[in-house]
Amino acid sequence: MAGEQQSSRPGSGRSRTGKAVSLARLLHRDCTRLLELYKEKESLPSEHSLEMDRIVSLCVSSPNLSTDERVWLLHSALRQCLGLLEYVIGREEELEGEGEGEYESVRNSVRDRLGHLLHTTRVLLKNEEETNVPAPDPDCNKVKEVEVDEGDGTFGVKLWIYRVLQELIHWTHSASETLHTLHSEREREQEVGDSESEGAEI
Amino acid sequence: MDHCLLWALLLTSQVRVSQCQNGFQPPVPQRVRVEPDFVSQVLSIAWDKDLTYPVLFYDIEVLRTELGEIVYNYTIEVRADSAGRFHHWNWTSPIPLECTSHTVRVRSRQQQHTSDWSEQIVPGMDIPVNTGAKMYPQDRVVAVGSNTTFCCIVQERKEFKSFKYKTSILNSTRLSRRSYAGTVTNQPPSIPSGTNVVCLDDSNYYTGTVVFVGYPPGDRDLVCETRDLVSVECQWRIGQDTYLRGVQRQTHYTLNGKQCKLHNNLVKSSKKDKLQCQLSVTLDQGEINWTLGARNPLGTIQLTDKADINHRVRPHAPLEVYTANVYSRNASVHWRWGPNGYRTLPLECQAHVNSSENTYTFDYSGPGVSEALLKDLQPDEEYTVRIRCRTQQNTWKWGDWSLDYNFQTIKERPDALNIWVWMDSNQTGYVKWKPLSKSESHGQIVAYEVTYWNPEEDGRRTLSLPQTQHRAPLCPGDIGDCVITVTARNSAGTSPAASITIPRFSAGEVHTLYKVSGRNGGFDLFWPPYANTSCGYVVEWCPTGKQDCDVDWRKVPAGNASARIESGSFVAGVRYTFSIYACSSGAPELLERRQGYVVELAPAQHVSELKAQQYGSDVLLSWDEVPLDGRRGFICGYTVYTPNGSHLVPIENITDPNTRSYMVRHLSPGFYKFTVKAHTSGGQDGGVTVSLKLDPSTDWLVIEILVALGAMTGFLFLITIFCYTKRQWVKKTFYPEIPEPKLPEEWPTTPGTFGSRTLAVEPCPHNTVHIVENPERESDKFSPEVELEEEEGDGAGAGESPPDTDSSDPVVLRYYNQVVDDGSQGPRSADSSSSSSSDSSSTSLASTRTDVTYTGIQSAASSSGAPVQPEASDMGGYRPQMTPELASAEPQADSAGPADFPLLGDFGGYQPQITWRADSRPASTAPWAAPHPSAPPSSSSPTPPLRRAQIAYPPPPGFTTCCRANPDPPPSRRHHAVSFFGGDTGLFQLISVFNP
Repeated sequence: MAGEQQSSRPGSGRSRTGKAVSLARLLHRDCTRLLELYKEKESLPSEHSLEMDRIVSLCVSSPNLSTDERVWLLHSALRQCLGLLEYVIGREEELEGEGEGEYESVRNSVRDRLGHLLHTTRVLLKNEEETNVPAPDPDCNKVKEVEVDEGDGTFGVKLWIYRVLQELIHWTHSASETLHTLHSEREREQEVGDSESEGAEI
Repeated sequence: MDHCLLWALLLTSQVRVSQCQNGFQPPVPQRVRVEPDFVSQVLSIAWDKDLTYPVLFYDIEVLRTELGEIVYNYTIEVRADSAGRFHHWNWTSPIPLECTSHTVRVRSRQQQHTSDWSEQIVPGMDIPVNTGAKMYPQDRVVAVGSNTTFCCIVQERKEFKSFKYKTSILNSTRLSRRSYAGTVTNQPPSIPSGTNVVCLDDSNYYTGTVVFVGYPPGDRDLVCETRDLVSVECQWRIGQDTYLRGVQRQTHYTLNGKQCKLHNNLVKSSKKDKLQCQLSVTLDQGEINWTLGARNPLGTIQLTDKADINHRVRPHAPLEVYTANVYSRNASVHWRWGPNGYRTLPLECQAHVNSSENTYTFDYSGPGVSEALLKDLQPDEEYTVRIRCRTQQNTWKWGDWSLDYNFQTIKERPDALNIWVWMDSNQTGYVKWKPLSKSESHGQIVAYEVTYWNPEEDGRRTLSLPQTQHRAPLCPGDIGDCVITVTARNSAGTSPAASITIPRFSAGEVHTLYKVSGRNGGFDLFWPPYANTSCGYVVEWCPTGKQDCDVDWRKVPAGNASARIESGSFVAGVRYTFSIYACSSGAPELLERRQGYVVELAPAQHVSELKAQQYGSDVLLSWDEVPLDGRRGFICGYTVYTPNGSHLVPIENITDPNTRSYMVRHLSPGFYKFTVKAHTSGGQDGGVTVSLKLDPSTDWLVIEILVALGAMTGFLFLITIFCYTKRQWVKKTFYPEIPEPKLPEEWPTTPGTFGSRTLAVEPCPHNTVHIVENPERESDKFSPEVELEEEEGDGAGAGESPPDTDSSDPVVLRYYNQVVDDGSQGPRSADSSSSSSSDSSSTSLASTRTDVTYTGIQSAASSSGAPVQPEASDMGGYRPQMTPELASAEPQADSAGPADFPLLGDFGGYQPQITWRADSRPASTAPWAAPHPSAPPSSSSPTPPLRRAQIAYPPPPGFTTCCRANPDPPPSRRHHAVSFFGGDTGLFQLISVFNP
């Protein structure tokens, strides 16, 4: 990481992608820790199996997407994740008041960093004017709205929060990988551009 | 048979029909209705009254439908005149009603006659149309310590596995095909998000529910007041935590029926355990009840406070406190009130002023007080002021403190210095002044000025010193009548002058030195009042014996002849000298001196120069005193110890501290250690030890020697007298006459042929000595008479050939040395075998007639294990020496018997002597010499020592010779034996024994 930062000029595209990768990795660790804290707080069984359907799902018509397109989709998914997390925070405060434990601290930190990552990826996408927004698959349902099965009572809400936290882990991991790919590609492009400009000068 | 059965059935039916027709069967309850209340788990059962047939009893049964298990069975009695058109009965289920379907049936009863059942089914959530997994009850709120039964409806085609309440497994009971129940007892408080109860199926898929366990509201201590004069603020303590959180379960409050909501009018006070609700009111209501309602799912409470809110005004904190005018000694403070109503409100205010050294509180009152004058301040001092107020009438509580406001007073000139003089000689010393405190300096001191003035010379000299220096040298030259004046200067001016007249040095003056004891970290000093003092006294102190001490002092006003001296510089175990001076217009006059310790400790050092000196059987211990620095207290005395094992045993406790010696008396000779410890009121030192070896007294030694010599002399004298008187007996006893042996005339001088000789055991020719008793002398100490007989003439010999040394036969010279006991002799003396030097005489005494026959020389080995004979030099007489080599060649029969040992070994008479030397040269190369028959005669000593002559060369191998007694000994001597022995190795030894 340090090497990446040293090789990138501050404020350059490579520097921004490098920071985004670092932030995504940090956020992934925070989300993992958040789920552990939640399981610990709620004493949920460890041998359980839950629904593994994605709450946040993205459907695109094209099977082969470029990295930039995937970043765009990722940004969309992260935005939904932030919405889910804010909803979770609201429900939890409604359920149990404003807590001051480690779980609440990490949860709020994840919210803030997720917002920061969203901003970073949005900046990356703005810089790439040529980025094509992938066309949504007409056959695929839209991204699910926030849905909680209220019929299951408080326990249903807790299971839903559990799933949201799993979604956060999934998408932050996906973000760190996609952004890393983007970072690598832009580094290569930068190196090619640098070598071409040097050749032209010669 | 079949006909009989048919008839029986027909008869039975006829009887029942007749019963009904006769009115025995009560009517079936009509329009039975069951209403479930799932929250409270209650089934409300109702059915219509039968107005035509009054029934007083009904049977009610509740069954779990699927398993047909009766869970409730009861017969109720109704009143015939009860109002209404239907009957009603409630039943509370122990399990949530959703868990499984319940069948409720009712029938009427008339004594033993009952109607048919009328039933209703309340379907549960486990019916097949609901295929999903569920748990009940959901989100139930229960009190801490209560019991709750949960049920789990597993998914279709799944098997129930277990219940979990948090992390513990619950026991389960089957309610229906898909429903199971489990009960939790004595539930603890739950976490804010509730306690999870989970049901797992065989695929580890789980469903669950949440139960919230808590307490009803516990709020208390409601107090209402007003602060802004337009609203009421009621405050109360939350009390016990309800453990119920969230919008639906937290405690909701109302004040006089109006809601108190968080983020609105319900706030947490600065103290976390308090809440406060505010309502806008008018203050003209007089005394009314202020009621707070607190409600949560587990209960509701009400708190009431009856008050006239006009009398409960607690002002807000003053705003914008500031100082309008600040001087060196006072300042005026102003502030502003927020609510307009305060301007006319009679108030009582406090100004709390705090400086680094002092704290003051000023009180002010008046309508709407908004300023205060702060007095008695110190110049150049930083102050912090804050204000609070309360109503002057109907006093309630103090309002809040305002924010702190800081200001600093302006500077003034310093106060006069406190100076003193310290002298350690007539010319050396210094004048010293105490640094001014902040309250005395009134500003930063920038310099000191010291002025020397001698009235006689009328000359002045001024010295300026920096602020860090607090002492100055004495007057130069003659200090007599010198006056020193010191002033301090800051930016505001110069302090008043402080003067002192230098006194004459008084260190050498003799003053009575008193002891003073420290108490509670200080000293209480008293002295006789001094009439001539004009300005009081000065008590000066300094560590005793310390050069250039940093003197300290205290001035005591006139009229006081005592002072308690306390100082943070006092150190335990250090002696201080206090000098009390009388202050006058001239030089201070020394009144007296005292010394003392603030706390006495055990001496840190021991006595020095401890010595021990012996004075006969006494020991004088002497020592020098403990050095002053190591005393750490007044020495009270000394203790002398002597060690006993690992302990010290005190032998003297000396209570006079001036004692420097101690005499330990009456000691017997030996090694001694003495330990001397000095002690103060704080304890003893570690002690020092001296050791001494106490030698016997010289006089006693001389006396003992003289006594021993005298005793010896007397003893010898007595012995001499005894011997003289008994000289005849002694002569006979110790020196009996010994008959001279008769030796054969021929003495073999020529050895035979060596090579053909072997070691043969043949007796040597010998003489027979007959000891003839002399009857005449028997009465007296007998003296045996010895006759020597020639062996050759004795036909009674063994028939052996005579000892012809010239013979070619192997020459075996044997020397028989036997005392022939013919059996007629009397019993032998019992101690004859053990006697040593007197064996010769005792042997003679042992027989009345003794024949002595020298039959041969017996080797030591042939003596069959007899002990090695002591050397002849240790014997009192003559005896033969044995050779170990002969032991193997000598027949055992010839060896001396047991009875012979005393004679052989101890007999002091005529015995041949010979010894072998094992380290002799080899016989083949070593020459040898024949024995010399005529050994030189011995001296005339009465008990001549046995003399031994060694022949340096061994005889030839196998050679053995025998030396017989000289046949013609000179009359003056008795040559008892000369013997030679030859062997394979060894030295020849010639032993001659001479007797007088």
